[in-house]
Amino acid sequence: MGSEIYFNKEHELVRKAVRDFVKKEINPHVDDWEEEGMIPLHELFKKMGELGFLGIRYNEEYGGEGLDYWYETVVLEECARIKCGGVPMAISVQSNMATPAIAQYGSEYLKQTYLKPALKGDMVTAIAVTEPDAGSDVAALKTTAVKQGDHYILNGSKTFITNGLQADFLTLLARTSDAPGYHSFSLFVVPTNLPGFQVSKKMDKLGMRSSDTAELYFDNMKIPVENLIGIEGEGFIQQMQQFQHERFAVLPLTYISVKDMIFETIEHLKGRIVFGKPLIKKQVLRHRLAHWLAQAESLQQLAYHIVRMKMKGQDVTRQISMGKLLGGDLLNDVSSGCLQMYGGMGFMNDMRISRLFRDSRLLSIGGGASEVMSEIITKTYGF
Amino acid sequence: MKILTTVKKVVDVELNIHIENGAIVEDGLQYVINAWDENAVEAAVVLKENNGAQTTLVSIGGEDNTDMIRKCYAMGIENAILIDEPSLAGADSFVYARVLQKVYETGDYDLVIAGKQAQDTDNGQTGIILSKYLDLPCVSNVISMEVMDETHIKVSRLGDGGIEIVELALPAVVTVSDSINEPRLPAMRGIMMAKKKKIEIMDLAKLGTSLDEVGGAKSQIVEFMKSKTRQGGQKFEGDAAEITTRVVDLLANEAKVFI
Repeated sequence: MGSEIYFNKEHELVRKAVRDFVKKEINPHVDDWEEEGMIPLHELFKKMGELGFLGIRYNEEYGGEGLDYWYETVVLEECARIKCGGVPMAISVQSNMATPAIAQYGSEYLKQTYLKPALKGDMVTAIAVTEPDAGSDVAALKTTAVKQGDHYILNGSKTFITNGLQADFLTLLARTSDAPGYHSFSLFVVPTNLPGFQVSKKMDKLGMRSSDTAELYFDNMKIPVENLIGIEGEGFIQQMQQFQHERFAVLPLTYISVKDMIFETIEHLKGRIVFGKPLIKKQVLRHRLAHWLAQAESLQQLAYHIVRMKMKGQDVTRQISMGKLLGGDLLNDVSSGCLQMYGGMGFMNDMRISRLFRDSRLLSIGGGASEVMSEIITKTYGF
Repeated sequence: MKILTTVKKVVDVELNIHIENGAIVEDGLQYVINAWDENAVEAAVVLKENNGAQTTLVSIGGEDNTDMIRKCYAMGIENAILIDEPSLAGADSFVYARVLQKVYETGDYDLVIAGKQAQDTDNGQTGIILSKYLDLPCVSNVISMEVMDETHIKVSRLGDGGIEIVELALPAVVTVSDSINEPRLPAMRGIMMAKKKKIEIMDLAKLGTSLDEVGGAKSQIVEFMKSKTRQGGQKFEGDAAEITTRVVDLLANEAKVFI
């Protein structure tokens, strides 16, 4: 109710198309992918690319659809219907985390050689920023790219890299100068088929188990100079801007997932008879659910406000940071609280709520921890 | 080859349907394209892609059929006719077939492809009655189709005893099974193109006919009832001989399946 204010018939046709795709091509396989700890990304992205789902708001010249942020929101909302967090995260890496900087700052060569195949689903990509000693403190990263003639020599390692085992190229942030400050970093497109690239290990995680996560190692990798994204030394700023796309993408994934989780729990409570009455009759549970629904609705409306701001070309850093902060807290509260309402059944691994509980834990940590979001918010207010 | 494909809008049966006083509660209902008609659309689009056929879709209903039609456009259908005629409310297969006959006669069609039945009524009559009205050959429950030449197609149909291969002179009517293909998902590009395409909206007068001519419904649904929920089975424990005796006794005396 009320969504027609924001979405027209064409949006709804797109919504139906993505929903059908999720229902037909993704959800039937999710249990297997979770078990195997791997999504066949080349196969999945090829199908999505052919349907045009990976490049909604990217330029048509580079394999995108040239549509606006509302369409992107629709696609993200429907990806949130996927029965796990790992698959939407992998898709989001491809469309919202590793490719925006190439589209915004990359040369024509990079757009044709890497962006276009990524949006068409012919190449899998990953974003390589985090290092063992540089997570939220991005400026502490140690991986170096030293220019030698027509190449940069890349040395170092990256960790917690989603899609890292299957990526054909990485969008990677490396230090290109020892000078202090934020102008010592550069973004590169790093093809993973070049000598010196190594997947050190596949990482085992609490949740998001279908999504592969890798630790990567770079040993004197020769990266052609044309693989530099934009201007040398501006990578940190470019990545901070790229983070805004990533952090926005998690908002629709969060409020839809939260609402679905609540409605599934309500159905469970309707059928669960305790002391002669369905659990849904317990006021304490009903009010808790109502409170969460109110919070989810607020987050959704904040996301729609952000879309409107983005459409006007306004800076949305503060609002996106607020959304991610609230979303992380909400997911933690709702997944834990709903699991509690399932009782012992919720603790069983074959229950969806159990998977959602595990998957939910990541949002307040990854892509900029809640603490970092709070710091950004304080800075935007100047204190 | 010119193809006319018939498409019906049906209630989404995956959602809960509520019945009150023998009628379906309309509030909250959602509608989708009839699944077998989606197979018919896919079959038509495949013939367009492989054999250069021209594809036209016809649907009977109101303004709210347009979303479904646009989805068919996004799948690759080239033209669409919507018969928007409120007086057809409550029509049955005979009436629909008569209206479709009139549509067929406005074009120079070689082949009508229809879904073999509709999800809502499960009657499976309209396509077959249409072929009777048009005096055209009809093959039902078609699971594959290929063009032999400009005037013949070869289809396979699933019969009770196996698969029948039928060569069919055009013009003809076929009703297709869901085994014939896997309907494609519309791509973004197709969806965006579809919104610009025109839908030809006609009523009976524009079609050159009238309610009197197409006739009234020969049957009427007087009441809807939910089908009974299937009861759980019984589980027997013990040795094989005991269980067999018990099961035979139940089949004979309770289920009365033995004469």
